[in-house]
Amino acid sequence: MHAMTVFYIIIQQLVNGLILGSFYSLVALGYSMVYGIIKLLNFAHGDIYMVGAFVGFGALGIFGGALGIGWLGITVALVISMVLVGLLGIVIHRVAYQPLLNKNAPRMSLLITAVGVSFTLFNAVMVMTSGEYKAFTTSLGYDGISVGPVNITYTQIIMVVATAVLMLCLYWFINRTMYGKAMRAIALDQDACRLMGINVTKTISLTFFVGSALAAAAGVMAGVYYGSIQFYMGFIIGLKAFTAAVIGGIGSIPGAMLGGLILGLLETAGTQLPFVGSAWKDVFTFGILILLLVTKPTGILGKSEIERM
Amino acid sequence: MSNSVGFKDRLSERMKGKKTRTFLLTLLVVIVTLLPLGVNNYVEEVMTNTFFYIILALGLNIVIGYAGLVDLGYAAFFAVGAYTTGILMKYGLNFWLTIPIAVIFCVIAGIIIGGPTLRLRSDYLAIVTLGFGEITRITARNLKITGGASGLVGIQRPSIFGHKLYQISDFYYTFFVLVILAIIVSLRIYHSRLGRAWQYIREDEDAAEAMGIDPVKTKLYAYMIGAAFGGVAGAFFAVKMTAISPETFAFTQSAMILLAVILGGMGKIPGAILGAVFLVFFPEIFREIGQMRMLLFGILLVIIMVFRPQGLWPERKN
Amino acid sequence: MSKKFLSMLAVTILSFTVIVTGCGTQGSAPSGTSSNSSDTQSTAGSGDIKIGLPLPMTGSEATYGKDMENAIKMAVDEVNAKGGINGKKLATVTGDDACDPQQATAAANKLVSEGVVAIVGGYCSGAVVPTLTIYNEKNLPFIVEAANSSKITDQNPGNTFQINGTAVHQTQKAVELFKKLGAKNVAIVEQGDAYSSDLAKQTEAAWKAAGNTVVSHDVTTKGEQDFSSLVTSLKSKNADLVFWTAYYADGALLIKQLRQGGYKGSIVVGDGSSDPKLIQMAGAAGEGTYVLSPPVAEFLPSAKQFADAYKAKFNQTPGAYAPLAYDGINLLADAMKRAGSTDGKAVIKALTETKDFPGLAGKVTFAPNKTLQESNFIVLQIKNGQFVLQ
Repeated sequence: MHAMTVFYIIIQQLVNGLILGSFYSLVALGYSMVYGIIKLLNFAHGDIYMVGAFVGFGALGIFGGALGIGWLGITVALVISMVLVGLLGIVIHRVAYQPLLNKNAPRMSLLITAVGVSFTLFNAVMVMTSGEYKAFTTSLGYDGISVGPVNITYTQIIMVVATAVLMLCLYWFINRTMYGKAMRAIALDQDACRLMGINVTKTISLTFFVGSALAAAAGVMAGVYYGSIQFYMGFIIGLKAFTAAVIGGIGSIPGAMLGGLILGLLETAGTQLPFVGSAWKDVFTFGILILLLVTKPTGILGKSEIERM
Repeated sequence: MSNSVGFKDRLSERMKGKKTRTFLLTLLVVIVTLLPLGVNNYVEEVMTNTFFYIILALGLNIVIGYAGLVDLGYAAFFAVGAYTTGILMKYGLNFWLTIPIAVIFCVIAGIIIGGPTLRLRSDYLAIVTLGFGEITRITARNLKITGGASGLVGIQRPSIFGHKLYQISDFYYTFFVLVILAIIVSLRIYHSRLGRAWQYIREDEDAAEAMGIDPVKTKLYAYMIGAAFGGVAGAFFAVKMTAISPETFAFTQSAMILLAVILGGMGKIPGAILGAVFLVFFPEIFREIGQMRMLLFGILLVIIMVFRPQGLWPERKN
Repeated sequence: MSKKFLSMLAVTILSFTVIVTGCGTQGSAPSGTSSNSSDTQSTAGSGDIKIGLPLPMTGSEATYGKDMENAIKMAVDEVNAKGGINGKKLATVTGDDACDPQQATAAANKLVSEGVVAIVGGYCSGAVVPTLTIYNEKNLPFIVEAANSSKITDQNPGNTFQINGTAVHQTQKAVELFKKLGAKNVAIVEQGDAYSSDLAKQTEAAWKAAGNTVVSHDVTTKGEQDFSSLVTSLKSKNADLVFWTAYYADGALLIKQLRQGGYKGSIVVGDGSSDPKLIQMAGAAGEGTYVLSPPVAEFLPSAKQFADAYKAKFNQTPGAYAPLAYDGINLLADAMKRAGSTDGKAVIKALTETKDFPGLAGKVTFAPNKTLQESNFIVLQIKNGQFVLQ
């Protein structure tokens, strides 16, 4: 084992932070998109990520025999999970959220409904798996490249690349397609959009589809990368991605991407820093979040708003 | 929403009659007071637990329902109260003396959390309060004085006028008294100038400011009072359980209390009580079905919110 | 309330009741119990001796709870088949504590109100501690079979007996093992819950007292899967040995990520991780990991019969705490016979006087603090995908 000098420690932790950050970004995107369009903090989003991991696990189980459990099998499982969970997102929107939006219900009620959906997903999976951890077995190994004592595996590289690809697709979708334009317009002024003939409800559903699909992708990748999944995994990531979205500026898509990376780096730094350490790293992260919100509540890339409450 | 005439309307008219209301209320109090004589430990435990959550729900109701502030980290106040009492009692302080100290610490916590953040928009406030809730829990877990991850154990039971509180029925009555106090305090505050100020702010914050109400200070009072409720509840919780650990104050706890307030109907005292009752009774009644009960809870929550977002307690038409 | 709302509510509750009743009466789930966490599982007749079992039947530790319940029930059936105790049959009442202190307290009160005369069980330390006084107030003997925090020993109001090795015992074993492996700089990683934290702190104190170094003491969050920054941090501190004191699922991830990150030192895990699933989830990375374990049926020569009977009855291999769970009932039965009654105080006295009771896990004699006089922890190592006794 090479002795690790400070330089190498920093490099390795940077790598760690970026990889962790990409997961956070993918999940944060869903939060930001939904918030941007209907001003709802979708509490159930973390559990969507978890469901995505399980659907991917199931898909891999079904198709793994035929396609093997290498990259081909994984990619197919990933796509299946994204589509199915995306559809689940639409169902949740139509059943749980849209009725409240139609009634102009207070925002708090929407929040509580989201908590209810989260509870439902969380417990449904717990009941179905009897709380057990499932090993997400793939045929991937630990080969990678090393620069001195710094290691990066091929799997990690592919993860980051895949995340970047997904985010680029999203960027293209939002900025270059009619659907994306509609989403952005609705975020600005919903009533005007209705007057112009845009089907607002359908577009919101589409937003949920995309956000959920991205979270599902992150879930499958987490399963592949870490190797095990459990019904509890959505809770923590939900909280973290939430934080990431806010750091970057909730409602802003590039903000979510940036926020995720920043959070990943912050947490990683927190673990290594002598006066923080792993026991306090979450306090460290939340502390920075609170500081940020109090000084610049719209986050790093959010727009400054005069609106209050 | 209500679309049936006849029997239902006549019933609700009757219910609104002041005499009927007072009669029903007195009946309820009598039943609750006499209950321990006829039931076993388990039922008393569930009722005591219910009382406990009613107090917390009433406290949070002031924050959310009266002042309109979103608080996702209410368990932090409850934690501060419980740990303050626990730690002070370890140093030999009499329980009853720890209560005012616990309340003071909670109020200070309320000022620390609320001060810089009450200007924020409600969604941001939600996240910040969530963050503070987690920070409190992790701090309690890491520090030695709070007993670390194992928490505080062996907290002594208090005595009142020479009678030691250790049986479940002792705590039943203690908490019942606290519930009554909490209801009285909630009512008085609602009808006070402060209560009205909160209403104005909820209706139109800018107009209220123009009228001379300082919104930040007024909201801060809500926070502090809510914190005090949490602190008292926490102090009694510590001596009832004799052992407290950080897990009890996780986000799940804050979410539960929030659920109780919203489910029952925000801003209404009977609503908060109903919500707390539902919250405690539901998992106990459905204990038999084990894992499925929380799933059912989640589904019911969604159904209730979708069809009746104003909560379970009927709207008062005024 | 609107009709639509009421009808939806009614439909949901009705359908749930139907589903649940249907599932409940349909026969065994794989683990062999017909209803997962029913508190009224007891088939007690009026003269039966009721024993309360506080176990995690729901939540993340449910598999352990079910495993222990299985073994307990098997022991109860055997005792009853031999005629019961003083002519009466044993019956069990399970109380789900869901590994949570508040639920444990509610469950404890429920058990007490059902008229149990003794308590056997206890898996999560955090859930056991607040219930000790509840049972003691009714003079109920409590045989703890898995929860091993030293806080239980410290807070023992006099009615509690731990037949599993405690954290103190495990710490001794750990320090012994570290010395044997020639480690000097040890890193300890826990998960911030009562059990893992207690074991971690005790080990740290003991290792330092022996003149060695603890290079870092880290806390991970349950449910978080990414340990990469921790791995880098541990590497940078040149730890020869990493000791994981929490549970197997996150332990497996830590092991994988340590090896993936190029960590070459020894890895030791505590008994919370001693589960065959650890091997499955850690995969190739798990090779060579040392595991401190309670006496598992596999390695107990006297337990072969037990293991076969368990397998036949429940269709799976007995879990790590099954032998201890089984022993608990037999010990209680033995104490009741010696006391000649089921009176709480008499049974507690009989338990205190236990000498060399032959359990599957070894002979049971209690030290004055009502823990085992001799530790029964064993050291295993993962070799070729199997646990091997060291």
